[in-house]
Amino acid sequence: MERVKIIRYSPWLVHFNTGACNGCDIEVLASITPHYDPERFGVRLAPSVRHGDVLVVTGVVTKKAAERLKRLYEQMPEPKFVVAVGACALSGGVFQGSYPVVGGADKVVKVDVYVPGCPPRPEAILEGIIKLLKKLEGGDGDEPKPG
Amino acid sequence: MSQSLVESLKEYVVKSYAMKPNRLVIEVEASKVREVFVKLAEVLGKESFYLATIEGTDLPEKKLIRIDYFINLFKHDAYLVLRAYLPRENPVVPSVIDLIPGALAGELETHDLLGVLFEGNTYLRRSFFVPEDISSKGIYPLRKDSGV
Repeated sequence: MERVKIIRYSPWLVHFNTGACNGCDIEVLASITPHYDPERFGVRLAPSVRHGDVLVVTGVVTKKAAERLKRLYEQMPEPKFVVAVGACALSGGVFQGSYPVVGGADKVVKVDVYVPGCPPRPEAILEGIIKLLKKLEGGDGDEPKPG
Repeated sequence: MSQSLVESLKEYVVKSYAMKPNRLVIEVEASKVREVFVKLAEVLGKESFYLATIEGTDLPEKKLIRIDYFINLFKHDAYLVLRAYLPRENPVVPSVIDLIPGALAGELETHDLLGVLFEGNTYLRRSFFVPEDISSKGIYPLRKDSGV
């Protein structure tokens, strides 16, 4: 648990496209620009998957990408978390049921936070990561309830 | 440009028409595709064109597979589409990989998805794009009767 607490000050992201149309990828890239200033949360891209804390998965998981996603996930040091970004990474989206796809990211790895949208806005992606951090602090990721 | 190009390739041209402005289509015999590329290199110079992609289309009602070579002509600032029709039962076309190494991805893709055989390409194999479980059954997914 101590190690989890350290991560919440600077979660480094690993961005992996498992078969997205690039819409979500552009939004992920936008969300790590100075305009949205993710570094106020300590969020930045990890130079290598072996330095990463949070795996950001975009796009439907194709059968070929599934092996790679699993391998990437296994290379990340513990503790590690997965954020699925976009409708396709959630459920397969419009590609659901097509012959080369497995489905959403949760078919391959354990997903901690789902960010819906096609594509989600950069604010939404950052909010997903912040919710993950709040979850690590012991909350359920939601805003404090009144009363 | 279209006139002079059609003129210099006239021994191979079956038909030529414009797909849209700056995109000329030249239909050639499938067996002559490689020769056309040799001729193009002669006429335009080896470094003034580039093969952007190879596209295959299944036409089951005509029992044909159409393959299009999209060629970027730098000097003319235009695209040339070399179009050939292959019989659906036995789609064979000569490979251009020895002339244009960049054709590798296009030829492997068209082979994997439609089953077009590029004669002379020793790198040809299944499962370049198509997952193993589909390719091992001998299914070509872009064929309209493939059932996937």
